[in-house]
Amino acid sequence: MKIIKAIYNFIVGDMVILIGIALTVLVLALINNVGALGPLRGLSGPVLIVGVLTSLVATLSREAFSPDR
Amino acid sequence: MQWVVATAAFFASAVEFVEAFTIVLVVGVTVNWRSALLGALAAAATLALLVATLGTALVQWVPLDVLRTVIGTLLLLFGLKWLKNAIMRYAGLKARHDEQAIYEEKRAELRAREAVDVSSSRFDLFGFLLSYKSVLLEGLEVAFIVITFGLSAATSAVSRSSGIASAALGALAAGLLVILVGALVRVPLANVPENTLKFIVGIMLTTFGTFWLGEGFGVEWPLSDVFLLVLAAIYLGAAFSLIVWLKRVKKQQRAQATIENQSTPTTVQKQEVNP
Repeated sequence: MKIIKAIYNFIVGDMVILIGIALTVLVLALINNVGALGPLRGLSGPVLIVGVLTSLVATLSREAFSPDR
Repeated sequence: MQWVVATAAFFASAVEFVEAFTIVLVVGVTVNWRSALLGALAAAATLALLVATLGTALVQWVPLDVLRTVIGTLLLLFGLKWLKNAIMRYAGLKARHDEQAIYEEKRAELRAREAVDVSSSRFDLFGFLLSYKSVLLEGLEVAFIVITFGLSAATSAVSRSSGIASAALGALAAGLLVILVGALVRVPLANVPENTLKFIVGIMLTTFGTFWLGEGFGVEWPLSDVFLLVLAAIYLGAAFSLIVWLKRVKKQQRAQATIENQSTPTTVQKQEVNP
């Protein structure tokens, strides 16, 4: 458990960023592998950029409006 | 030689080397130089072993598309972490990383231990371990950057080994520069604009991470590699807007706190007058 926590802290250390990027990758994987979502493949790039920016804004908002601050 | 990769690795590694150098310096000054340098050398050897084994395994066994997806994701996670911290420091929501403060704190910690004869060259296990641990931890981040940047830069024209070699050269140049400057001035490198470097590296890692992750999912970026500049511009613009927004938020929070602080004593006074 200690090793997993150390790896998590080393690579990201922020749950909001981790969840944001994981969700973005999941959406991209769905767009690329589900036949019904095929027409959206051209939007993969913009989806990725929006996902990254949303993760950044979300984690900074969390820090800025944290009750501990 | 892949200059973009080498430059990115140079900046990213320079920040980590400055942090490691600070601890080695404090061990050298407070305990003794023998223990500090032995610890640093042992950590460098461990890192070289890790990069050689892990880097070679990745180069030989993992397909390029899988590597791009995994490495793009890791770079994004790593880059967003750096970018977030740099933005928070610029906005005043987080203290700036101060090498001088770290130096003084570690020095006080070491002095709090039993008195050590600094002039003695006797091997000190605590000093050795402290130096080893700091160089290993900071160096791991350098190794991670070198391997990921090197591998992801590989194309049909550039081999993966060449990519890793370019990134390693960038990191080596950064290490030598930090050691050279540090040896000449013999003080913590407090004047290095660490937050600016972290901000630039955060933008670079996020840009490359987005680009490679997109390629891993088959995205054909317009203008090909030139789109890296467009991505960097998008993230720079977003980062500056976020800094301005966070500064405003902080100002509002301060103003609100001041109003609350001013109103609290008045209430107490009233209570005292009318018990």
